Amino acid sequence: MSSSPYIPWTLKYKPKSLTEVIGNEEAKKKILDWINSWRKGIPEKKALFIYGPPGVGKTVTVEALANDLNMELVMSDASTYRTEEAVKRFAGRASQFGSLFGRSKIIVFDEVDGVTGSADAGGLAAIVNVIENTRVPVILIANDAYDPRFALLRNLCIMVEFKRLSVTEVARHLTRICAKEGIVADDKALKFIAERSSGDVRSAILDLQALAQGKDKLTYEDVSWLAARDRKEEIFNVLRMILYAKSATTAKNAVNMADVDLDMLFEWIYENIPYHIKNPTELAAAMDALAKADIYRGILKETGDWSFLRYIIDLMTAGVAFSWSKKASGWIPFRFPERIKIASSTKEERELLEEIGRRIGKKCHMSSSRAIVEVLPYLRIILQNNPKVGKRIAKWLNLSEEMISYISGTSG
Amino acid sequence: MWTEKYRPRTLDEIVDQEEIVARLKSFVKAKNVPHCIFAGPPGTGKTTAALCLAHDLYGENYREYIMELNASDERGINVIRETVKTFARTKPIGEVTFKLLILDEADNMTDDAQQALRRTMERYSETARFILIANYSGKIIEPIQSRCAPFRFTYLPAEAVAKRIRYICERENVEITDDGVEAILDLSGGDLRKTLNILQTAASVGKTVTADLVYAVVGKANPADVREMMLTALNGDFISARSKLRELTRKYGLAGTDIIRQIHNEVFRLNIPDIWKVKLADIIGEVDYRLVRGATEEVQLSALLAKLVEAGYEMKRSAK
Repeated sequence: MSSSPYIPWTLKYKPKSLTEVIGNEEAKKKILDWINSWRKGIPEKKALFIYGPPGVGKTVTVEALANDLNMELVMSDASTYRTEEAVKRFAGRASQFGSLFGRSKIIVFDEVDGVTGSADAGGLAAIVNVIENTRVPVILIANDAYDPRFALLRNLCIMVEFKRLSVTEVARHLTRICAKEGIVADDKALKFIAERSSGDVRSAILDLQALAQGKDKLTYEDVSWLAARDRKEEIFNVLRMILYAKSATTAKNAVNMADVDLDMLFEWIYENIPYHIKNPTELAAAMDALAKADIYRGILKETGDWSFLRYIIDLMTAGVAFSWSKKASGWIPFRFPERIKIASSTKEERELLEEIGRRIGKKCHMSSSRAIVEVLPYLRIILQNNPKVGKRIAKWLNLSEEMISYISGTSG
Repeated sequence: MWTEKYRPRTLDEIVDQEEIVARLKSFVKAKNVPHCIFAGPPGTGKTTAALCLAHDLYGENYREYIMELNASDERGINVIRETVKTFARTKPIGEVTFKLLILDEADNMTDDAQQALRRTMERYSETARFILIANYSGKIIEPIQSRCAPFRFTYLPAEAVAKRIRYICERENVEITDDGVEAILDLSGGDLRKTLNILQTAASVGKTVTADLVYAVVGKANPADVREMMLTALNGDFISARSKLRELTRKYGLAGTDIIRQIHNEVFRLNIPDIWKVKLADIIGEVDYRLVRGATEEVQLSALLAKLVEAGYEMKRSAK
């Protein structure tokens, strides 16, 4: 892998101004009107509750807005504890004296869904308290605003809904990114990624990055195999949980976290571990754990005895996780399993190749596999360099026109 | 293809392998052939000898009396049970009272299939004789070996191959330099099929077959090789080594067992401490065993590559 730093494109192409945020025009206008109303004094509703599905630009909109208006964001998200005590400490002072010192502030509670009962006891009540007493704008962000726990909060807020983006909007955005990255992309390919994202532009951008980074061309064939694949984000989370698990149980449980096909998950782990595990001894141990899981997988398939499943899971999750010291070296993107790409994109190719082998083998008294290895490479060179002679030989071997053009077309 | 065009039709046309030819001719004379095993490296004339024997025995229409099966393509036990039985059961019309069944690449047959074959050979020996062709006779089960007359084919001597090359060049109006001949001999190592494939390809690409042209052609035919993949791994680059592995299996259709065999051959040629050769042989054996048990080729071979990366790393450390 090259040493160039991997920056997620969601970060690299994050909108800096509200005008760069795609879609949801109505919601953006509502937010802008509300924030402007603060110029005339504290309005009746001092808080905004932005809600909508993941990846449609809720947080990004707030950040772009603050940037446009040169306001300071005081942000809290699910990664921090939000107990009553914590909320007071975080927002108490800022909500009282915000505008007196330096830039004016906006207090943002992101991922409010993540304020959970037990761990963040009293957190929601504390947020209500902040809103009631605030002298600066407060914004709440959540996926689902209609959770009964938010009843009190909803009464205090202007509700702003963010909707899923349309396929056209997402695709147009992907086109812009490709242009900036110098990638010539098929419209059909981008539309396909956009459709798959079901309005989640963040996942669409991450998909695009995983598929197109480092290439100068992106064709429909490059992406079509994604069809009917599990939602990537789910797999990414599961992968991360397994590779970086702190306990064997966590690693094993990750399998149940999402509805991910086990064979598929195996392929993802197999593809990605060499990019994460750099120490040769650790890599060999991790690959060995996977190889052993693979043996049990073979036994399960052969015998149909599902009791072997437990060893497969043990080895491919905990076995891999505890082969290495988990020293993450920066942000490493997950890659699509090459083997699946190969298998699905070249099944027909494989069959064609086998048939070519059989026909050559028949004439030359050898098996199809040996014909492919021992005769085909020479035939290819002849066809490419001396088509006249090559075609004569190919005809004698009973190869069809399709086969001939396949052989001539594939590079040695 | 020149390999077919210049394949001898009769036992008389076979150059070299004199002893074998003499014995086969005596079979023709007696109009009787025992079950045979033709063993030896690739491109030494095993299949040719079997076909020539059939020709001399049955005459121009020999195809009606023989069946050619390739065990690699049809190695299942059912093929032996059905196809072979149906063929072997009936008596041919004519002077010769048996048919000839040529089973190529017989060392790729499963043990079960070989057991089934053994019965069939016994039961129908009145009406059918078998010629088993293999690179290694050791892979044929003992009970079959003991029922067959063994023939050991060896690589043709360089002079014989060189003579063949010049003969064909003359017939095909191809100019070839002396170093061109040398280069082909060097690369084909006595394998006549490989010799002719290289020669024909070089002749169709360039006007004169020179050493440079020969090396260029062969280099293009085998861009990805097992040795290179292993060296890449030993140098610590697992990801590139895995890509090479994928290229070998995907583009060149190499089977896992073929790759394992080549890896094993290469290990003992590598410039590494002997103790590591033994350690690696042990690991390779384990992987081979797993493949036989039905594990996934690429995953197991990748695990082997990871071991090579580790070995390279350990060697560098202990060298310091």
